[in-house]
Amino acid sequence: MLQLVADGFIIGSVIALGAIGVTLVYSILRFANFAHGELLTWGAYLAWTALIGIVAVWGPAEPLGPFSFGWPLLVALAVSAVATAALALLVDRLLFRQLRRHGNAITLIMASFGAALVLRNLLQFIYGAVPEYYSREIQVAIRLVPRDVLGGLRITPDQLFVLGLTAVSVVGLHIFLTRTTVGKAMRATSVNPQLARVTGIDVDRVIRATWIIGAVLAAVAGVFSGLTVQLRPQLGLDLLLPLFAAAILGGIGSVYGAVVGGLIVGLAESLSVPLVGAEYRAATAFVVLIAILLIRPTGLFGERT
Amino acid sequence: MTALRVVDLEAGYEPGLPIVRGTSLAVEPNEIVAVLGPNGAGKSTLIKAIAGLVPVSAGKVLLHDRDITGRAAHHLAHEGLGFVPQTENVFVNLSIEDNLDLAASILKVPKKQRLRDLYDLFPDLARQRRLLAGRLSGGQRQMLAVARALVGEPKVLMLDEPSAGLSPKLVGIVFEKLLDVRATGVTIVLVEQNVKAALAIADRGAVLVEGSTRIVGTARDLAGDPQVAALYLGQHRGGS
Amino acid sequence: MPDLIGLLSYGTFFLVFATIFALVVLGLNLQWGFTGLFNVGVAGFVAIGAYTSALITAPDYPDQLGGLGLPIPLGWLGAMATSGIAAFIIGVAALRLRHDYLAIATFGVAVTLQLVALNAKGLTGGPFGLQFIPKPFAEVIDDNLAWNVTYLAVAAALLGLSYVALERLVRSPWGRVLRAIREDETAAESLGKRAFRFRLQAFVIGCMLMGLGGALYAHFVGYIAPEDFLPILTFQLWTMLIVGGSGNNRGAILGAFVVWALWTLSGNALREIVPSEYQARAATLQVVLIGLLLMLILLLRPRGLLGEETVVSRHMRDEAADTAEE
Ligand SMILES: Nc1ncnc2c1ncn2[C@@H]1O[C@H](COP(=O)(O)OP(=O)(O)O)[C@@H](O)[C@H]1O
Ligand SMILES: [Mg+2]
Repeated sequence: MLQLVADGFIIGSVIALGAIGVTLVYSILRFANFAHGELLTWGAYLAWTALIGIVAVWGPAEPLGPFSFGWPLLVALAVSAVATAALALLVDRLLFRQLRRHGNAITLIMASFGAALVLRNLLQFIYGAVPEYYSREIQVAIRLVPRDVLGGLRITPDQLFVLGLTAVSVVGLHIFLTRTTVGKAMRATSVNPQLARVTGIDVDRVIRATWIIGAVLAAVAGVFSGLTVQLRPQLGLDLLLPLFAAAILGGIGSVYGAVVGGLIVGLAESLSVPLVGAEYRAATAFVVLIAILLIRPTGLFGERT
Repeated sequence: MTALRVVDLEAGYEPGLPIVRGTSLAVEPNEIVAVLGPNGAGKSTLIKAIAGLVPVSAGKVLLHDRDITGRAAHHLAHEGLGFVPQTENVFVNLSIEDNLDLAASILKVPKKQRLRDLYDLFPDLARQRRLLAGRLSGGQRQMLAVARALVGEPKVLMLDEPSAGLSPKLVGIVFEKLLDVRATGVTIVLVEQNVKAALAIADRGAVLVEGSTRIVGTARDLAGDPQVAALYLGQHRGGS
Repeated sequence: MPDLIGLLSYGTFFLVFATIFALVVLGLNLQWGFTGLFNVGVAGFVAIGAYTSALITAPDYPDQLGGLGLPIPLGWLGAMATSGIAAFIIGVAALRLRHDYLAIATFGVAVTLQLVALNAKGLTGGPFGLQFIPKPFAEVIDDNLAWNVTYLAVAAALLGLSYVALERLVRSPWGRVLRAIREDETAAESLGKRAFRFRLQAFVIGCMLMGLGGALYAHFVGYIAPEDFLPILTFQLWTMLIVGGSGNNRGAILGAFVVWALWTLSGNALREIVPSEYQARAATLQVVLIGLLLMLILLLRPRGLLGEETVVSRHMRDEAADTAEE
C-alpha cells in the first residue's frame, strides 16, 4: 500500500511537471497542445545525447553519492532544458505563430496533433526504436518503512531525487509567477489578453516565456521518466493522456491545480494496478478524465471553462 | 498641437465590414471630450481601434501629431495612451498591488514614486493593496481600472463607459476623480451612455451615429440640443 | 499479360482502401467540416466497428467471446450501432464543454481502446487480433480479382449512398442549424440544450460512419489487429479531410483518394530507395512527410483543394445572432 502511494507520487511528479506546461499553454495560447508530450520525449533524448557527448569528452564520471548518475547527467539535463526550449520556440515560430496570425483558433489543435506525429517520428528516425537508459548502474533501494507496516516502503535514491527536484521546480515556478514582472504578465495575459496589451505587455514575449517554461519543465519531466523507467520514443505519447487528465482535473489554467492533478492521476494509476492489472494502468487517466468532465468540468481549482 | 486626432477612420472586426465608418475627432491637450451616441453606434469600436485592439482599414490616428495608425496596442501604452475598457478592465486574478505594479513595469523611471502618487490619489486602493481585484465592488473596481490605466503616465486617457453599472452616487465619485486626473495634466476621452453626467464634466462632446461623427460641439450646446436628446429617446435607460 | 492482371488487382486493392477511407472521412467531415467538432479518436471509432463486425460474423472463436457466425449485414449494422453508442457516451460527457475537451476525450477513447484491443484477449484476441473474418460472396466468387472488384462495388455503393444521404442532411434545415452553431459560438450558446442535441446527433452519425468504415475494412482484409488502429490512422484521415477541403463532401472524398495515393506512392518509393535494414526507420520519414504536407496545407491553403461551398445564407447567420442578443 505505502509502496503504491510512493510509486504514485513518483509518476505523479512526472505528470505534474508535464501538466504545468499543458495548462500554461492552454491558458495563454488557448489551445490543447497535443505536441506537449513530444517535448518530454525530446527533452529525455536530448539529455541522453548531451550525456553521451559529455562522457565522450570528459570521460565517464563516478556516480554522485547514492545516485545512479554522476554530474554529467545534471549538466546534460541543463543542456536539454535549453535545447528543448529552443525546439518549442522553433515549432511556435514555424507553425503556431502563423496560425495565430490567421486567427483560426481550432486549427491550432489540429496542427499540434500533426506536429506531435512529425516530432515523434523524426525522433524515432534519429534515435531508432530501441529503449535506452541513462545509466546501467544497479541501485540499492533504501528501506524507509519495514515490511510489516502497511506493506513497507522501499525507495531508490534516484526516486528521491525526482521527488526533491520536482518540489524545487514547483516552488521556483511559484516564486517566478508571483514575484517577477514576466510571471505576473503571464498570469495577467491568461485571464485577459486584451487588457494585458493595453497595459503595455508585449503578448509575444509572454508567449515566448510560456513556451520556455513549459519546455524546460517538460525536459525535466522527460529526464525523470527516462531515469525512473527508460527512454522510449513513445514516452511522451503514453504520458499525453495523463497530462491532459491532470491539467483538466486541476482546473485548466491553474498551475497549482496541474501539480495536484498530476499527483492525483499518478496515485490513481499506481493504486489501480492491483485492481485492474498493470496493462490497464494507462486507462486510469481516461477514467479520471471522463469522471471529471461529467462531475466538475471546471476542475478542482478552476473558475473558467 | 492636438493631443489626439482621428481622421476619417474606418475600422471593424471582419474585413469588409467596417463598424466605424469615416469618423473624425480632434481632442485638444488637457480637454475632456465626451463621445456619445446610441447603443451600437460604434463608440467602443472607435476607441478600441484607436488603442490598437481593432484593425483599422482606412484613415489615420495621430497622438500628439505623431501617426500611430495600426500600431500594436502595447506600443501605444508606452507612447502615452491609456485605455480603460468598459468591462473586464482589471486583472481579477491579481491583487490591487500587482495590477498596478504590472502596469508600472512600462515606466522608465523608478516606479515606487509613481505608485505612491497613485495611492495618494486613490486612498481606498492603498488601504487594501493585497486584496484580489476580483473581490472588489463595482465602484472600487472602476477606481482600480482608472488607476491601472494611469500608472504608465499616459498623456491621453480613454475610458469606455466608466459609469456603466454604478449607482448615481458612485458615478459622481468616479467622475469627480476624473476631474482630479485632468487637473494633473491628462487629456481625457470619455465614451458614455450617461449623457447628462458626461456632459457635466466634459468640455466638448461628439455624437457618433452608425459609425460616423454627427454632431460636435461644446458640452453646454450639446446638453441643450434637442437632436441629441432625440437620439437617446427611448433607449437612454436601456443600458447595454 | 499477367502484369496487367497484377496492376489491375493492385489498382482495385488501392481503390477499395481509398473508398473505405473516404467513407470514414465523410463521417469526420460531418463532425468537423459541418459542425466544428474536433474528434481526435477516429481510429478508436473505426476499431470499434471493425471488432464488432468481426465478433458478430466470424465463426466461433475458441477460448474467447464472440464469433457468432451471423450474416455479414448484421455485422455491419452492429458495427454502426456500437460506434454510435460509444460516441453517444463520449458526446454526453464532452460535447457540452469547449471543443478542446472533446478533442482530449476522443483522444482518450483511442488510447483506451488500443489498450483494450491489446489486453482484453477474451474479447479482442490481444496483440494477434481477430482472424477468419468472413469475406462476403467469397463462396460464390473464387477469383481474387473478381472478388476485389465486387467488394469495391459494394464499398462504392455504400460510399455513394452515404454521400447522397449526407448531402441531403447538410442542406436540410438540420444541416443549416449545424453550421450556424459552428459559425457562431454565441448563437450556439443561445440555443443552449438544443445546440448540444444537434452536436450530439452530428457526432453520433459521424462515428457510425467511422464504425461502418472499420467493418468494411475488417471484411476486406479478413483479419484485424490493434496495430491497424494506431494514432497514425487518425492522422491520415484528418490529413485527407484537410487536404480535400473540410465542409465539402466531395472534397472529403477527393482528399481520401489523393492522400491515400500520396501515402501509397511515398511508401513504395521509400521501399524502393531505402535498403531493407533501414526500412523501419524510413517508414518514420514517411509520416514526417505527410505531417509536413498537412501543416503546409493548414498554413498555405487552409480551405483545402475544394474548400467549403457557401450554403449558409447570410440571413441564417443574422437570425442566429439576433437570437443570441435577446
Ligand atoms: N467583438 C466584436 N466582433 C464583431 N462585432 C462586434 C464586436 N463588438 C461589437 N461588434 C459590433 O459592432 C457594432 C458596434 O458596437 P460597439 O462599438 O460596441 O457600439 P457601442 O459601444 O457604441 O455600443 C455592433 O453592431 C456590434 O454588434
Ligand atoms: Mg460600448
